[in-house]
Amino acid sequence: MRKTLAKNIFLNINPIKKFRTIKIQMDFLRPLAKEETTSRRLLANVMSNSTEDYPSFQAINDREMELYGSEINVFTRNLLNFNDLAFSVEFADPKFLIDGQTQIKDNLDLLGEIIFKPNLEKGQFNQTAYETEKRNLMSNLVSIQDNQDLVSSLGLAKLIYQNNPDRQMPIFGNIDQLNELTNEKLMETYRDVIKNDTVVINVVGNLDEDEFLQQLLASDFYTQLNDRHNALKIEFDKFDKLIEKPAVQIEHKHLNQSRIALAYATEGVSKDFNRMAPQIMNLILGGDDQSQLFQQVREKNSLAYSVSSTYQPLSHLVTIQAGLDADSVDKALNLIQQQIEFIRDGKFTDSQIQHAQKVMLTRRKIATDSIQYYIMRSIWQTVYPKTLLTDQQFEAELQSLDRKHIASVADHMHAIAQYQLIGD
Amino acid sequence: MTENLEKQTKRLANGLQVSVVPMSGFNQVYGLAMANFGSVDTKTEKGTLPSGIAHFIEHKLFAKPGYDVSEKFAEYGANSNAYTSYTKTAYLFQTLENPYDNLRILLDLVQNPNFTAENVASERGIIDQEIQMYLDMPEWVLEQRILGQLYPNDPIAEDIAGSSKSLQEINHENLLETYRQNYRPDNMDLVLVGDVDFEKVVSIVENSNFHTVEKPLKKVFNQFAPIGAGGSEEMDISQARSAYGIRIDTDMTGYDLVKKQFELNMIMETLIGESSTNYQEMSKLNLIDDSFSYNVVAENNYCFIIISGSTNNPKQFQEYLRNHLSYKSLKNVLTDAKFERIKRDAIGSYLFAQNSPEAIANQMAELYFYDVDYLQLIHMIDSIKQDDVLNIAQKFLKGDNCTYYNLLPNRK
Repeated sequence: MRKTLAKNIFLNINPIKKFRTIKIQMDFLRPLAKEETTSRRLLANVMSNSTEDYPSFQAINDREMELYGSEINVFTRNLLNFNDLAFSVEFADPKFLIDGQTQIKDNLDLLGEIIFKPNLEKGQFNQTAYETEKRNLMSNLVSIQDNQDLVSSLGLAKLIYQNNPDRQMPIFGNIDQLNELTNEKLMETYRDVIKNDTVVINVVGNLDEDEFLQQLLASDFYTQLNDRHNALKIEFDKFDKLIEKPAVQIEHKHLNQSRIALAYATEGVSKDFNRMAPQIMNLILGGDDQSQLFQQVREKNSLAYSVSSTYQPLSHLVTIQAGLDADSVDKALNLIQQQIEFIRDGKFTDSQIQHAQKVMLTRRKIATDSIQYYIMRSIWQTVYPKTLLTDQQFEAELQSLDRKHIASVADHMHAIAQYQLIGD
Repeated sequence: MTENLEKQTKRLANGLQVSVVPMSGFNQVYGLAMANFGSVDTKTEKGTLPSGIAHFIEHKLFAKPGYDVSEKFAEYGANSNAYTSYTKTAYLFQTLENPYDNLRILLDLVQNPNFTAENVASERGIIDQEIQMYLDMPEWVLEQRILGQLYPNDPIAEDIAGSSKSLQEINHENLLETYRQNYRPDNMDLVLVGDVDFEKVVSIVENSNFHTVEKPLKKVFNQFAPIGAGGSEEMDISQARSAYGIRIDTDMTGYDLVKKQFELNMIMETLIGESSTNYQEMSKLNLIDDSFSYNVVAENNYCFIIISGSTNNPKQFQEYLRNHLSYKSLKNVLTDAKFERIKRDAIGSYLFAQNSPEAIANQMAELYFYDVDYLQLIHMIDSIKQDDVLNIAQKFLKGDNCTYYNLLPNRK
């Protein structure tokens, strides 16, 4: 069931019976703005800390346990050019519980509490909750420096998005902004989110659609969200400047292993070419353990334990990551370039194409064995439906692949950024 | 409509346990072969093996004459992987099609080693990179250090992958001998989750070539040295990490040990879980952040708890835990209502895991070695009484079986 509850407030109920849990997720979306990124992340943490009726972290955790370990999750993430502030509750399907009692209303109420009844005092967030979560976030931000894979991917993102400060800011914010945040400003952010963001509500699991809709309409969700909200506008980044002059950064740190992270824009591939060609090219290049990068860099030359590539369909970027010895970096960079040329020159075999086609299909179907697949698909359906393919369209595209199209993607890969974290 | 899970099992004449769990509505078939052999199993009647040998076997079993098994899986539409833990090694595939062909490939993977001097040498470089990667992860380093205090000079304190030095001691000969001793059908099990025919699975496995060993070397359980006094070291990190460890020596095995693990988890959840007063207090005192967590391990003859996280004050972090992890504290806070909530939480976790064929296969395969039926876990959890939990706590929360380790930011 798909329904528009008010302008830019959407509901999708998917009554799938195969799971042992039920999940309700509510995504609040708006364009990324660097000034709001840290504040929205802190807001997510403060709101999951406590509520009006469960006024401490302890109380809210006790309630989750009482409901057979319901999992409340509040977080922010990048979705297209949007900042997605998502609230979810996932809980055991009562049918499988020892006492078999219904849990849907209780969990819907708990999620409603978290979103609409924050733990306030004198018009601001409860000071203990605010300070605890601010400290936690600060600690997390400081700890990022100890996660070298993250340091390397953030280093690359900073180079890729140097002309778009809103995208350049990590989704979890930064220390400077966090230092400047106040409880009062956070409260403003909260009011703004509830009043203006586009909202997508998803429900997946073994439940009765009409019954759930009635419960929802009688709850805070409907009374608080029956007003019009802002629409979303999709925007894409351009990488022309970086294609002309790629960005390179080399940092040194006292580490056992070095990391390299590379980004390529795939600009200029004919629009008439197969839509799956970039994904198939990526799979042949570095998408799994049969790929050129894995076989040549890891298996044949023993240079790295981890080496892989990823294709981001919306930004049309290919990124490559590897962890290796500092003195192997040049050799690895050469080998990586050779693999791109290998594909560009059409040297890949038909069986490599068939393997990649099979992997694409398998990954798509296996993904349907998880609740999250249905929620993500529904969000895309709402915010960017034209990128979604039906199963038939997907298979037809895969079948009509031409090797020329795959080679053409590699031929149009332009190096735009390179980040090296050298361990010495 | 989804029904409660059911399984079919058979113990074959060669000792291998085979289980199949249908999952209605799921597209995939997930297959897993597990050996009751992990990184700690380095002591035998004949002597000591180099650390990391179980993990090396896991990597190198994929190599066959002229092909790599992952290629074969890929050819038949499956993705494959493997992992080594302290006490187990597992090989797995996930597929939409050809489950029986992929099962045959899985059997080929675990039954036909092809260790050569050349392929062993080339694998050393890859595994050495894996070791270097982990050495940059403070949480991983901290776990090894605290295990080094809990079990001084024991193989459990070594990296599962070994060390650059121990990799040099691994060769195709000791790999083959260790493989033969441990990949016996009576020391393994096999689980398939998804839409497959049980009889056909059994027939394929029965017609495959497991080797047998007439007189397998006896497993030598490690004798534990006294718990270390604790320690600290500097590392190039931005924030201190602290770990507090509790060792619980026990002669329990099988069902009792698994039940004990659940009970220990309940005790820790009550004392320091997110819904505990201690968690709130430590948070208020700025001793922990949301990386704070605990982990209860009960495997073979190892049983321990590690509590760890980032902290601004490692000394106070340790002191707080030493003062508050006691039977007396537990007795004060473990009310009837609290106990009921904790039990419900454990039941919920069990159901959450049942959304995942991967989780079901892995847990079922592992629990077999402890004589526990995964599908009966919900009843095991439900049977735990408040008094059982208090009795266990009284025995192990004594304060003389604890130690610590801190990783401190390098001052340079």
